[in-house]
Amino acid sequence: MIAYLSNLATLAAIFGLLAATLNFMVGQAGIFSVAHAVFMGLGAYAGAQVALLVVPNPLLACLAAAVVAGGLSLCLALPALRVRGEYFVAASLGLQMMAVTLFTEAKPLTGGMGGLVGIPRPSLFGVVIPVLPMALIALVLFLVLMSAMQRGSFGRTLGAIRDAESAAEALGKNVAVAKALAVAFSAAGAGVAGALFALHLSFVNVESFTLEQSVLVMAMLIVGGTGTLLGPLLGAVLLLSLPAALSFLPFIPPTEIGSVQQIIYGGAMALLMIFRPAGLLGDQKRGRSEA
Amino acid sequence: MLELQLLLGGLQNGALYALTAAGFALIFGATKVFHVAHGATFTLAGYVFIGAWNAGWHPVLGVLAAMAAAVAFGIAMERFVYRPIGRHEGGFFTVFVAAFGVSIVVQNLIAMVAGRGFANVDSPLSMASEVLPELFLAPVFWISIVAAVAMFLALTLFLSRHPAGVALRALAQNADLLRAYGLSSSKLSILAFALGSVLAAPAAILTAMTSGINEAVGNHVMLISMAATIVGGVGSLRGAALAGLLLGVAEAVVLTVLDTQWAEGASFMVLFAFILFRPSGMFGAAVAR
Amino acid sequence: MNSTRRLLLGSALAAPFAAPALAQNDPYVIGTLFPMSGPNAEYGTVFTQGAQLAIQHIEADRMLRRPIRLQAEDTQALPQQGVIGMQKLVNVDRAVFTLVGFTAVSKAVAPIGDRAQSVMVNGGAVGPDLAGLSPYFWNVIPLAHLETRALLPYLSQERRVRRVALVYVDDPLGDAILSELRQQLPRVNAELVGSFSIPRTAQQFGPIAARVRQARPDAVYIASFGAQQAQIIKGLRDNGVSTLLCSYSAMGLDSVRTLAEAEGLVFTSQKMDFEGGDALTRRFATDFNARFSKTPTIYNANYYNAVRLFGLLAQGIEQAGGTVNGESLRAALLARRRFDLVGGPGEFDDQGNMMAAIEVLEYRGGRTQRLVG
Repeated sequence: MIAYLSNLATLAAIFGLLAATLNFMVGQAGIFSVAHAVFMGLGAYAGAQVALLVVPNPLLACLAAAVVAGGLSLCLALPALRVRGEYFVAASLGLQMMAVTLFTEAKPLTGGMGGLVGIPRPSLFGVVIPVLPMALIALVLFLVLMSAMQRGSFGRTLGAIRDAESAAEALGKNVAVAKALAVAFSAAGAGVAGALFALHLSFVNVESFTLEQSVLVMAMLIVGGTGTLLGPLLGAVLLLSLPAALSFLPFIPPTEIGSVQQIIYGGAMALLMIFRPAGLLGDQKRGRSEA
Repeated sequence: MLELQLLLGGLQNGALYALTAAGFALIFGATKVFHVAHGATFTLAGYVFIGAWNAGWHPVLGVLAAMAAAVAFGIAMERFVYRPIGRHEGGFFTVFVAAFGVSIVVQNLIAMVAGRGFANVDSPLSMASEVLPELFLAPVFWISIVAAVAMFLALTLFLSRHPAGVALRALAQNADLLRAYGLSSSKLSILAFALGSVLAAPAAILTAMTSGINEAVGNHVMLISMAATIVGGVGSLRGAALAGLLLGVAEAVVLTVLDTQWAEGASFMVLFAFILFRPSGMFGAAVAR
Repeated sequence: MNSTRRLLLGSALAAPFAAPALAQNDPYVIGTLFPMSGPNAEYGTVFTQGAQLAIQHIEADRMLRRPIRLQAEDTQALPQQGVIGMQKLVNVDRAVFTLVGFTAVSKAVAPIGDRAQSVMVNGGAVGPDLAGLSPYFWNVIPLAHLETRALLPYLSQERRVRRVALVYVDDPLGDAILSELRQQLPRVNAELVGSFSIPRTAQQFGPIAARVRQARPDAVYIASFGAQQAQIIKGLRDNGVSTLLCSYSAMGLDSVRTLAEAEGLVFTSQKMDFEGGDALTRRFATDFNARFSKTPTIYNANYYNAVRLFGLLAQGIEQAGGTVNGESLRAALLARRRFDLVGGPGEFDDQGNMMAAIEVLEYRGGRTQRLVG
């Protein structure tokens, strides 16, 4: 039981990190993305390759993941940042679909559909350490960093962009650079989450980085409430533990169990949005969950 | 001959993409709702037709039933999901998540009722014969083209001649102005959802006939519709339809130069290229920046 | 275990507590990690039915002192969901025996079962890399390379096939079949004239059919699974590919058998004679028909066999006075090796892979007919 709960907690921390970094993009900079799983995937592959080929050092794996995901996000996102609103959503969607094809085809790097198997367990100085504490530390670290950035001048620039992009530009804020930095930082966080995910599962394949995963991360954020610090974490815990808790329901016949769980899950998502559109922790009176 | 074959095959698919994309674009243009559950409308219509076909109904009755189901689902989404969220001035993503949740519910309800896995309409219409050496065409090719053209003609006539259609176009341009003239925007958005959804029905029926469907087919449909709406230019019905056609053709024709596994990525590369180089789309008026 | 569950239902995530030791009359828990929703859910249903019938028979025969409980976890055929489900089965439900399918899921959960010494049995996926994943990972289905080797001599000698085209999903299974065809076709005087890789999510096969026609094959080999298989068959047939279609055991699905376009499809499968077989096989077929009102497929039989294998092993352990766990099950398997299963005796190698005879089948008029074997 403890192992089961700690497995869930690890995943919750990893997805909490994903949702929190997405929150930074959406909630702080007003950049909408449904391609977060791409950056998670880049980080996961980078981290897994470090562990497989060099050393299973989790710090090194996370660093490599952050650099790869953050760096590539710049190349990919810079052109797409020229557009805003729904267009960026669509651009990120295109990016997501192409990335899945590339992940599948770049077999030497990603193992394709077969994935990377037998990723060694992370160890520091010869001691094997579980992923849970590392995931928690990474989560806290990124949360602290993000709230610090939010309060600093960078945060004010981002806030200005979110509220009125043209006005921010008129005031001499360099909108493109600020946006790109926000994307890179957020993608680096997603990359770290990916590396931890790979180390935790000791197996990754492209099926963990599909559009469904991106939408799941986004749903976590929206359900919890954008623009809040704890909202994404609550959303991650809720959406991960809901299917897990549903699998404890004893009365569902085995052949229908998947469908019934999915119906409850989808229904809960829809109802929540209808009755609390700003998310669980969002400010309902402000009535806007960003967009 | 391979090129011609691929082009014609792409046209057949593209005609169906055009129909669903136009429905999506109509709804998005008029109501600004990003109707992610459009894919669920498609799936539902397809399964209703398959059910009617297997029960031995006359095909015309089946088509009507599928259309009725699509319209009912579209209106229900507007009434019970989008409008309550809209009252809260819900954000773009809120609508996205809610509609996605509903899509999951629909997909799994269909699986429980109609069975899981592949389902199709067993009809000789989808069987291709060699019309020219090395060129295979099925009757369903002509049906797809005719159905798409007919639906578009009807839609264009309605939008340009009928007062409600004209009002709908006005709603897309300026909702406040419309209200000032005392027209009910809520009735009009129901109309938009009904029209948009009905366009998905023929596409769903023809897809069930040609490639067959499964309960999870909606996602792909939604993606293509959305991509076509963006490529065509937000707010432009004509653009969405043409873009849908273009995506279908691109998916097929790309096989003359690339290996088969890249076909699906091709349509999204078109989308990405458009966003980078021509974000306003083919016919769009709204320029992003 | 019931009190445990109620506690968990009461408060979604209960505080960590020690799981109670297995009491005398607690049931044995057999876990299932199948796709029960999503595009591959048809398999999940089929797999589960076989297991359900085996449990019914084990209980009717009073083979074991304790009842068996089937605990289903939905994987949607995704590795991440599989890992969550496997963790729960091993740590919460204390499953001693878990049924798995699908290559990617199997590979993802194998390390968990290995660490917990919990037996995992695959009866659905046929990727050759599933052999030797762990001492506790067994296969009750002959893997794909055995299947192609049985098919090719038939194609060459009986159907005079010289040119083969392959339409495949680019995963470990598809890769294995591709390399197998490349190596084995020349040995039967044939060649691979084209290979067409498709994404797992592809739906439209008209364009691919055009490319396949251009390669002018005598036969097209299809290596995919789930709803996509039927779409490929229909897509090829509708778009003018009239040559012989052939495939492997994944075609043993009702949605394929009943498809009009699948007429004449040739595929391999492990040997199974539901009408004329031994008493065990006939009983399986009759009771399956009675309970689910349809003829069983190969997958029903495989997962029936997997659970029956558990019954036989656990029976032996109980009689010897031992405890039923992963270690004792493995020891019992290696000690005995040969078991009477549906379809005939099955023999296991050192890694826990079952060897079985392969037969070549054909769909004719919505029915399965035996060609070879």
